[in-house]
Amino acid sequence: MTTSASATLERLVRPFSGDAGIDRDGADRAGIDRKALAGLLAQLARSVEPQSSAEPSDVPAVDPRLQQLRTLLVGHEIEVLSRLSEVVEDPEQLASAVGRVLPTAIALATNDARLGQALAPALAKATQSSIRHDPRTLVNILYPLIVPAIRKSIGETIDKTFQSLNESLKHSLTWRGLRWRWEAWRTGTSFAEVVLKHTLVYQVEHVFLIHRHTGLLISHVAAENAADQDPQLVSSMLVAIQDFVRDSFTGAEQQGLDTVRLGELWLWSEPGPFATLVAVIRGNPPEGLHDQLRSVLSRIHDERPHALESFDGDSSSFSDVEAHLSECAALGQRAPRTAERGFPWLVALVGLVLLAFAGAGGFRWWQHEQAWKHEQQLREAKQQIWDGYVARLRAQPGIVVTEVGRRDGKFVVAGLRDPLAVDPQLMLRQAGIDPTSVISHWEPYQGLDPEFVLKRLQASLDPPPTVTIMVEGDHIVAQGSAASTWIERARTASRMLPVGGPSLDLSGVHDINEGAIGKLSEAIQSNDIHFNFNESLPAAGQDGILDQLAGELNELASLASHLHVTARVMLTGHSDDAGNGTFNLSLSLARAETVRALLKKRGVDPDLLAVRGAGQFEPLEASPSEAARAANRRVKFKVGIEEQR
Amino acid sequence: MTVTLQKKICMLGGFSVGKTSLVKRFVESIFSETYLTTVGVKIDKKIIDLSDRIVNLILWDLAGEDDISSLRMSYLRGSAGYVLVADGTRPSTLEVALSLRRRVEADFGPLPFVLLLNKNDLREQWAIRDEEVEDLRTSGWWVQSTSARTGEGVDDAFGTLAEQLAR
Repeated sequence: MTTSASATLERLVRPFSGDAGIDRDGADRAGIDRKALAGLLAQLARSVEPQSSAEPSDVPAVDPRLQQLRTLLVGHEIEVLSRLSEVVEDPEQLASAVGRVLPTAIALATNDARLGQALAPALAKATQSSIRHDPRTLVNILYPLIVPAIRKSIGETIDKTFQSLNESLKHSLTWRGLRWRWEAWRTGTSFAEVVLKHTLVYQVEHVFLIHRHTGLLISHVAAENAADQDPQLVSSMLVAIQDFVRDSFTGAEQQGLDTVRLGELWLWSEPGPFATLVAVIRGNPPEGLHDQLRSVLSRIHDERPHALESFDGDSSSFSDVEAHLSECAALGQRAPRTAERGFPWLVALVGLVLLAFAGAGGFRWWQHEQAWKHEQQLREAKQQIWDGYVARLRAQPGIVVTEVGRRDGKFVVAGLRDPLAVDPQLMLRQAGIDPTSVISHWEPYQGLDPEFVLKRLQASLDPPPTVTIMVEGDHIVAQGSAASTWIERARTASRMLPVGGPSLDLSGVHDINEGAIGKLSEAIQSNDIHFNFNESLPAAGQDGILDQLAGELNELASLASHLHVTARVMLTGHSDDAGNGTFNLSLSLARAETVRALLKKRGVDPDLLAVRGAGQFEPLEASPSEAARAANRRVKFKVGIEEQR
Repeated sequence: MTVTLQKKICMLGGFSVGKTSLVKRFVESIFSETYLTTVGVKIDKKIIDLSDRIVNLILWDLAGEDDISSLRMSYLRGSAGYVLVADGTRPSTLEVALSLRRRVEADFGPLPFVLLLNKNDLREQWAIRDEEVEDLRTSGWWVQSTSARTGEGVDDAFGTLAEQLAR
């Protein structure tokens, strides 16, 4: 009304709104073209009184009366308009005004599908942002809805596992079980699957789709040959019983009854948002059937959400749902055809199998027993070998066994060992014992066993072959002949032997000088070769003596070699005291040399003979007589017997 | 093809007013009466042929208790209407019926219903004044005196309720 009034006024004061010249020469502050208004009023006057010749002239630019007129005519509308424009232009006021009507507006527009479409993106964004800001809000909202669903799902999974486990265990050792194992192996499926396939024989007999809110039956399908009762009454009673359980037992408020068992009949209920699917199953259904039923139910919900929600008892429009339910009613697992088999044959076969098992078991036991016995024998044999080894060790001189035992599966032996004693490692190998299976520890020591003392003496004295040393009782006895130097050394060694230990008896060793070699030496030494004055050649008539000497010397050499001693003959030349001493020295040496040459000539080994000159200083006779001088001009022989080097 | 509708109807009334007898004789039933004492509800069906359509009234016969607080209200969920039953020879049962109606109205809003004053055959013991019944009728109630024994008024009552529901 306000709008239309102001529009009229507008038309009234601006009859020619297309005229652009108005503003140029007459628009007052309120926007009224007073000149045009005057003209208009003059026309009005003429139409009332045609004779009127009133013409607008000299219209004042500002007329307060006009303002007054305006206030009088449209003052209220102006006030309303200004209030409205104030509200519209101030965002805060506008927001508060819209806020007051928004809930009502949305409530009224709910039936308009466009509202939902318009709000959906904004709501989605708002939800996302809210979740990002604080996810707990959403969690709190969803918690009561999701937790029971998760709990149920986990429960079913565990049931499924247990069912599978139970059946597998139940049949794992039966004849049937063996046959199924074969089937599983043949078909490449798991044993549990085969067991379930054969044991879970079931048939879905009835499927009810029940409206949750009213408990009325939406659709029902029964399998062939299934006993039939009025499905409408049955479905309502099912709902009643669900309600009853839900009301009667705390904790069941949210869930209700999802499984009922009556003998071999199962009643499985799968709740959906608007409708519940109830299946009556005969037999032993697998837990996986829950999933199949739920999938059918969710397909029905997906296809007909609105029809389900607003169901009011008219089920004629749900004929297509029956197809889905028929799908459920067709579910089942038939009992596998049992092969015709003769009972005695089966018994015989089972018996054979059992016998085979028993035989195999017995054989395995026997094998085990044999192996154990064998091992035992081996162990005993090893122990015997070891014991023998230790006994031999103990009997060995120079070895004192202080510890024998077993540690970490190895033999252990420890003790003292004389370095001259037998090598225990060598003995191990000789006994046929693996040295790696033995831990040995030997401390060195010097034993007083006569054998070792003997060994030690033999090593240090190095007796000539003419001497034999042996153990006689507690003594060590040496026998044979030896050079006096060796005998002297042996005596010293004998004195050094530890007191209380075996002693060395040297009484059986003769000095070789006392024997044949001694006589021969005396014979050689008894001969002298005489010289004339100032002559280095022997005096005449001594060739016979030289020949004899050569024979004796050769005999000495061969005897010494036989006795394993070294013989050495010193030829000492002498002169008389006439003349120069130095000359006499060289003359006496020349005489010895000559004799050696003469003997060499007679086949004597020159290495046997040593020469020296004594000059006039070792006279045989010190008298100044010619006879004494003649006696002093000679070459003397001295035999020395030494140990062989 | 005739349209078939299903409607859930609750039978409500005090103790021993004859609800069960009413349905026993005139409805199709597959469940024994022990359900009433065990589960507290028994489902029966009454088929009403309204010439243009068939209405299957699924009757939820709730165990009768004078103490209405013990009524399992969850059984009433999804009801399209209900039948109140009182014993015409016992005015107190009418009081129970009235309070049951108030209770239902409070929980589920206004629903179509009929009031049956049963044991019509015991005329000489009738204890409910006609004025009282008239008052109820004038306030819009559909009241019918019935007899489970003779069957008087029973079909009429269910037919009326079915018509109201199928409207």
